[in-house]
Amino acid sequence: MSERNDRVLVFGFGRYGEQVAKNLAAESYDVYIADFDKEALNHASKEGFENLLVVDIHSDEHITEILLEHGFDKVFCAYDDEEKNIYLTITFKALFPKIEVIAICESKESERKLKLAGADKVIDTMVAAANRLYFVLEKPAVAEAMDEILFKDKSLTFKEIVVPAGSFLDGKNINDYNWSEEFRLIIIGIVDKELGNRFIFITRGINHKIDAGDILVVIGKKRDIERFERLLGKKERA
Amino acid sequence: MKFSQLLVDFAFLLDNSPTYNKVKRFFRNLLTNDDYKYKRYFDYFMIFLILSSVVIIIEEVKTPISKWLYYYDVYFVTGVFIVEYLLRLWVYNDIHKIIIEEFENSVFLEREFDTKKVLKEIIRSKLEYILSPLSIIDLLAILPSYREVRILRIFVLFRVFKLLRYSQNIQHFLQVLTSKKVELFTLLILVAFVILISGISLYVFEEHANPNINTLFDAFYWSLVTISTVGYGDITPVTTEGRGITIVIILTGIGLISFATSIIVSAFSERLEEVRTNRILSAIKRLEEYYIICGYTHMARLFVKRLERDKKSFLIIDLDKKVVDEALNAGYLAICADASKKDTFKNINFDKVKAVMALTDSDMHNIYICLNIRSFSKDVFLVSRTIDTSSQKKLKLAGADYLISPYITAGLFAAKVIEQPIAIEAINDILTARKNALCDQVEVIHDSFLDGARVGEIDFSRYKLILLGVVRSLDGSKGAKWGANRRFIFNPPADFVLKVDDILVIMGYSISISHFKSEVIESSLKNVRKKR
Repeated sequence: MSERNDRVLVFGFGRYGEQVAKNLAAESYDVYIADFDKEALNHASKEGFENLLVVDIHSDEHITEILLEHGFDKVFCAYDDEEKNIYLTITFKALFPKIEVIAICESKESERKLKLAGADKVIDTMVAAANRLYFVLEKPAVAEAMDEILFKDKSLTFKEIVVPAGSFLDGKNINDYNWSEEFRLIIIGIVDKELGNRFIFITRGINHKIDAGDILVVIGKKRDIERFERLLGKKERA
Repeated sequence: MKFSQLLVDFAFLLDNSPTYNKVKRFFRNLLTNDDYKYKRYFDYFMIFLILSSVVIIIEEVKTPISKWLYYYDVYFVTGVFIVEYLLRLWVYNDIHKIIIEEFENSVFLEREFDTKKVLKEIIRSKLEYILSPLSIIDLLAILPSYREVRILRIFVLFRVFKLLRYSQNIQHFLQVLTSKKVELFTLLILVAFVILISGISLYVFEEHANPNINTLFDAFYWSLVTISTVGYGDITPVTTEGRGITIVIILTGIGLISFATSIIVSAFSERLEEVRTNRILSAIKRLEEYYIICGYTHMARLFVKRLERDKKSFLIIDLDKKVVDEALNAGYLAICADASKKDTFKNINFDKVKAVMALTDSDMHNIYICLNIRSFSKDVFLVSRTIDTSSQKKLKLAGADYLISPYITAGLFAAKVIEQPIAIEAINDILTARKNALCDQVEVIHDSFLDGARVGEIDFSRYKLILLGVVRSLDGSKGAKWGANRRFIFNPPADFVLKVDDILVIMGYSISISHFKSEVIESSLKNVRKKR
């Protein structure tokens, strides 16, 4: 795993916060935990988290102070209480509009409010859980495959690759390559700059022309992806 | 002595004959078992016969009917009714069991086999059936075909009564009324009493004064017409005494009518819930395969929506009546019951249940539900939601096969969202089937073009699909259930050979996926046909 210095601030160490923090730590992020509740912070320290902050979410000065001191650029609102998450999101967006805010919610209604409040990413946990349930019961093979790719098999990973200018892909069409054989990668989709910044599934059947700046979303073994990225990094000598 | 020996031999012969028992079971199911799937068609057939015969008889009143219709009515319909009557008499109970029981008793007590007692018992049991109300209606319904006696025509109405047997709605209605037997009986006595008193007194006062009242029957008739507030007016009292009585029974009549209405209404409102639950349970019984969802929580709602999109069947059980009503209004099958109670599941055939889900908001309640389900079925796939990590072990012990926790799923996603937002969003879109792009599984069916093919030979891009990987079972265990011993092979190389029971995990638009699936099935069918 590549070393990362990304600092993430997780607000709230309840049921969600704990899981979020643990998973972030497993991905070797530098996790900071903020909560007002002493007991929650005690619990966090027992779970092995060192960077603990006591923060009152109602005090704007306090929050500003902390953010300036540590320089976070990613914040997780992971309170079990949806209202707190919404309030926090608004607070952050008011104080530091540039910070990336990811919030957790449990209902469609809160998701809407969070998006209105300006959250960059919203995770609707109930939708995620219901989907998971559906796949386990109706399409277990898919569930297994997703598990394997996303969580279990550490050597497999999703990756977003930005096509650098002047690389061998620049100006080529997607169908010019047999991706799964030549690079041992599966390409799922592309964010094509020419077609607006939208994600398009590859199975749409359109033979996209790849330009510099497009983002390819691929799945593959880590070493294959690294090899591919190295290939991309080389300037085309034409 | 000789006869009794013959009787016992015969009884044992029947008892040991599998064909006899099979045939009898078939007819018993056909005639009496509401859950038997062919009973419905039999019911429809009988209803048709009844209605057609009623129409014929009505038609006959004015115009002479054709010979064929006459034959149809007299021979065919009546013939079917007679056969049905005899079959019902036959399946009502098992004669040979009575004989065998008596024989065993006689051997056990070392006394002689009592032929007379057995015969008496047989006749008694069959008479019991013959004298039951529905059976009398059946018998009366056969009679009208004997047209020489005109009065028997009226028994055509009994054919209509016969409809009772074939319609569940009417049976529910009768059930509801029987629950108020005591009240209705009281009412009847009261009405009879008032009619008796008022009828007799009117007769006494007006027999001489009123030309319309000649007999006591006329007086009773007048009394009933008045008390029911129908009041035809063909007989009206002419004396002051008579009018006085009328005032009294009109007032009583209003009271009695409202009394009767309130009894029936309250009977329905009390039993409505039960009747509704019964109807839903009988609807569930007709399904081939369904899920049971305990607790109609937010998560359950989202899950149910997915199922609905795939046209899967499910039954929702929740304690809260308001929530159940909400589910019913959405058009789902839902009952208001406690999923941790034994009674709730006693009528459910777990062989048809694909999985049971305990999705309530409380770990404790989910544990109770799991234990309860496990007491009915050891094998049904049981999913439970967990909230506290500490209760996971307990739920596993309680028999849950799979645990789902929104907290853990959220945690897993959280880390990925920061790292690869576009990829996660793409996956999310695929998983929620939001944008028509799906992930699906295709089993390699025997003899299809997938069977024995190399991955490189299959042109997935022609189908506009991506092959993510192959799931192969390791111990040859069949079926696509979660938790089997399997391995996922990511992006298999071109020379990877597929075999039967492998499952391909593919990604693509829903239309491409269904096209691919149908081609797989078609190719398998074609090959099977070729072999023949």
